Amino acid sequence: MRLRRILAIWAAKITEKVSVNIFHRQGVTWAGKIALRICPHILQELADQVKNDIFIVCGTNGKTTTNNMLCAALRAEGKTVICNHTGSNMLNGVVAAFVLGAGLGGNIKADYACIEIDEASTRKVFPHFKPDYMVLTNLFRDQLDRYGEIDTTMNILKEVMQSAPSMKIIVNGDDALSAYLAMESGNPYITYGISEQVMDEKDSHEIREGRFCKKCGAPLTYHFYHYSQLGDYVCTGCDFRRPAIQFDASAIGIGEQLSFTVEDKRITANYKGFYNVYNILAAYAAARSAGFALTHFNDMLKKFNPENGRMEQFMVKDTHIMLNLAKNPAGFNQNISAVMQDEAKKDIIIVINDNAQDGTDISWLWDVDFDRFNKADIQSITVSGIRGFDMRLRMKYVDISSTLEMDVEKAIRERVENGCKNLYLLVNYTALFSTRAILKRLEGEK
Amino acid sequence: MDAQDKKLTIGHLYPDLLNLYGDRGNIACIMQRCKWRGIEAETIEFNSGDIIDFENLDILLLGGGSDREQMIVCEKLQEIQKEFKAYVEDNGVVIAVCGGYQLLGEYYKTDKGTMEGLHLVDIYTEQGEGRLIDNIVLESELFSMPVVGFENHGGRTYIKDNQPFGKVLYGAGNDGTSGYEGVVYKNVIGTYLHGPLLPKNPQVCDWLIQKAMERRYGQVELAKLDDSQEEEANAYIAKRFVKS
Repeated sequence: MRLRRILAIWAAKITEKVSVNIFHRQGVTWAGKIALRICPHILQELADQVKNDIFIVCGTNGKTTTNNMLCAALRAEGKTVICNHTGSNMLNGVVAAFVLGAGLGGNIKADYACIEIDEASTRKVFPHFKPDYMVLTNLFRDQLDRYGEIDTTMNILKEVMQSAPSMKIIVNGDDALSAYLAMESGNPYITYGISEQVMDEKDSHEIREGRFCKKCGAPLTYHFYHYSQLGDYVCTGCDFRRPAIQFDASAIGIGEQLSFTVEDKRITANYKGFYNVYNILAAYAAARSAGFALTHFNDMLKKFNPENGRMEQFMVKDTHIMLNLAKNPAGFNQNISAVMQDEAKKDIIIVINDNAQDGTDISWLWDVDFDRFNKADIQSITVSGIRGFDMRLRMKYVDISSTLEMDVEKAIRERVENGCKNLYLLVNYTALFSTRAILKRLEGEK
Repeated sequence: MDAQDKKLTIGHLYPDLLNLYGDRGNIACIMQRCKWRGIEAETIEFNSGDIIDFENLDILLLGGGSDREQMIVCEKLQEIQKEFKAYVEDNGVVIAVCGGYQLLGEYYKTDKGTMEGLHLVDIYTEQGEGRLIDNIVLESELFSMPVVGFENHGGRTYIKDNQPFGKVLYGAGNDGTSGYEGVVYKNVIGTYLHGPLLPKNPQVCDWLIQKAMERRYGQVELAKLDDSQEEEANAYIAKRFVKS
């Protein structure tokens, strides 16, 4: 079957070359689709060639950042790694990562694979290979029109965990939903988390998932919350509680930089947003669990540039621009926290689309705590995207006036000309690629 | 009579269990539109186990939840069925969305069993093949402006000869075949529209406020608000999906 595989790899590589510059991620997906059509066993065959471990990363938020960071950490230790960097995380995207990483002779030379997988797509990927590790970051409400309720996602994850009983689960112990899954699956699991209280979130009205114990149905009580439902919980009805944490981050510093201590090592990253402590910690826990000493971890973080619109920085004329993905309530609330940690005056542009990949239902905008913007030092808010009208209305109902500009490029240019030189762009999924392309272009203009 | 210096109390039922799809947006909308008119408004959240004093309530909101959580709510609600029924018969204002709408009726039959409803309105729901998920636009006899939102439901609701909330111009509606959506009974609106419903449909929000004010204070005139942003958001959806 090697010939068939070679043919599939060639076809995929040509597809990618031709289409990726025009269609961005779509091109990667097509490459995977074509390869799989020509050679249905290609994913299984190439996955078998990975010398050591295959890591997969699942969970609502933080998949791409965690996965890319884990890949960078392993490469910093001198390993060759297959990775779906672009965040193309359904079956075709996973196939593409392996196929595009293969040589023209039909084989891959990889010590490890780091693959993020959309939770619902795990069912389609697991028949092709069984990973050695699954990192499970968190479970929040996300695109209810596509994925249904969280319960549905949990059932799928439970099923795939049990189909790979020796796969080790590296789980965020601060999330009662994820931890429950790991404990109930029967698989071996390793926990990471933050045992000290960092934020004072007691008075927050944030939407929290899983207020009730998945094991017995009784309410969970919390000693504290970090954000959303992440925190230190215990069930009032049974023995379910936050598990002992193996990779525990302490002495957390948030601000212009993130820093924390784990296993007596001080980790520092040129990154913003408290939630990124979890992403860094997850990557760290995964690599440590696979036996790496991680002596180059801080060096890796220093150089780590996501280049994918996750807290990505741009400079257009003299305006400093931060682009970040915000696609569900938990993610958007964390974005707002990150904006508020910046004490300087700022302009904000929010872009909301409702294409199929975003989820066509944008009702989640009303679950985001936009009223907190009233306390941030904000000079202006501009709303844009297909659902710009909805976004403007959302701001009206927290007594914040905003300007509607349907053309994203015009909105950015206007703020670069007349703004306060500190601009945040918070955008949802499909808006990310187009907005990033605009910023890249504007950055190049002299 | 002037609406100013009057007070309305809104009851949000079981937000700990029923909080899918931005139900908080409906509460925020009622609160703001009262406040902008100088009407004092208070929202009381009733979580499972809390005692509900219907006497004090002017508008009740029952939202949607996951199937599992809806089942828990169903049991809780049976304990207060009599008081709830009396409130409805006394023209109490209710807005019930998604799962909340299904609970108003006789029963909700699913493949996992049958949930006893509250018997507040003579309707019933049965689980159908596949979920009905899309944007939706209605024409309602109650308003001149279209009603727009988003629907996502597996249940098919049959309203017999009750008055529907609206005629479906785009989307599926109650059962995907009748061409109608929701139900109106006395001062109760039951509907599958979230989106959420009220901010983009200020006419529906004001209908609820108007009915609640009349019930407590007699004839009142609500001050007109500048709804240009609401109307633009509403018209955008109506125009995008309804081809005239």
